[in-house]
Amino acid sequence: MKLSVGSEIRGPIRIMTPERIEWYDSAMLSAAKGELTRVTVNIHTDEDYAKSEGLPAIIADGMISTNWCSEMMIEHFGLDYIERGELRTRFIKPTFLGVTVSVRGRVTAAEPQPGGAVVYKLDVWCEDETGLKLTVGDAKVEVRPQ
Amino acid sequence: MLGGYISDLEAGDVFKPVEYVLTPFMCSEYAHGVETGHEWFHSARGGRQMRPPTMIHVDKMRILEANCLKERRVSAGGRISTDAKGPDARIHYEYHSRQHSAAYVGERLVVSGKITDKYVKRGRQYIDYYLEVRTADGRLVTTYTDTTLLRYKKVDPK
Repeated sequence: MKLSVGSEIRGPIRIMTPERIEWYDSAMLSAAKGELTRVTVNIHTDEDYAKSEGLPAIIADGMISTNWCSEMMIEHFGLDYIERGELRTRFIKPTFLGVTVSVRGRVTAAEPQPGGAVVYKLDVWCEDETGLKLTVGDAKVEVRPQ
Repeated sequence: MLGGYISDLEAGDVFKPVEYVLTPFMCSEYAHGVETGHEWFHSARGGRQMRPPTMIHVDKMRILEANCLKERRVSAGGRISTDAKGPDARIHYEYHSRQHSAAYVGERLVVSGKITDKYVKRGRQYIDYYLEVRTADGRLVTTYTDTTLLRYKKVDPK
């Protein structure tokens, strides 16, 4: 992998579906409880409840796009990211059902370190099919020589 | 204030830590739910099974449920009832995790944290968290800050 300032990386391109929202919410509850648990009613799964809370419609859990950004970092930086990476995401626009989400990143700094490591800093974001950014953030990872 | 709903928490509240043993199911189920297929999270093939780094957010859910006794989202299986969930739906606004080491299946993890701020911005109330996860023998795994909107509806200015 050879990255420099301005290099772009890409993550998954996925349509936000009710199934994906349920997969995430149920998995989160299951992991917290330690046994299979299925999400029922919340603002991510129930249109009426979402509207009762003032939202225009069901919105996806922000952790879905965060996880897709994290997946992009894992694919490009592997254990260096898992063991000492940093990821920040801000959910600046709601992600509604049916939106095609593209995950992207751009290197903003590549700083050589003593011993041959390089600290990469990146902007990361998720955008819809029109290029509108829904989730924005940044990431940092120190890549050590093999 | 600890012991009530999440919306009752105040800046300066320090959570009672929670401990648990990381299981293969927790890692694999979460990875499956977010469509991360890397074998590191699903089995011990090639080494030791580890958890996805974003699972700090599951720890947030754990420590909130343990410290906000009126919130029973996990134990109620995601069901909403008057005694299972706070009065308003919350919306996550910012996630910020720093990884310090990987967490492996079989390790006992200790989650601790506090409320660093609670404020109104543009008519909406937010809460900031700081959490950290260590192994029971003290190795730092993840530090985390989080901003959550406590309710989408705007605060009545009166």
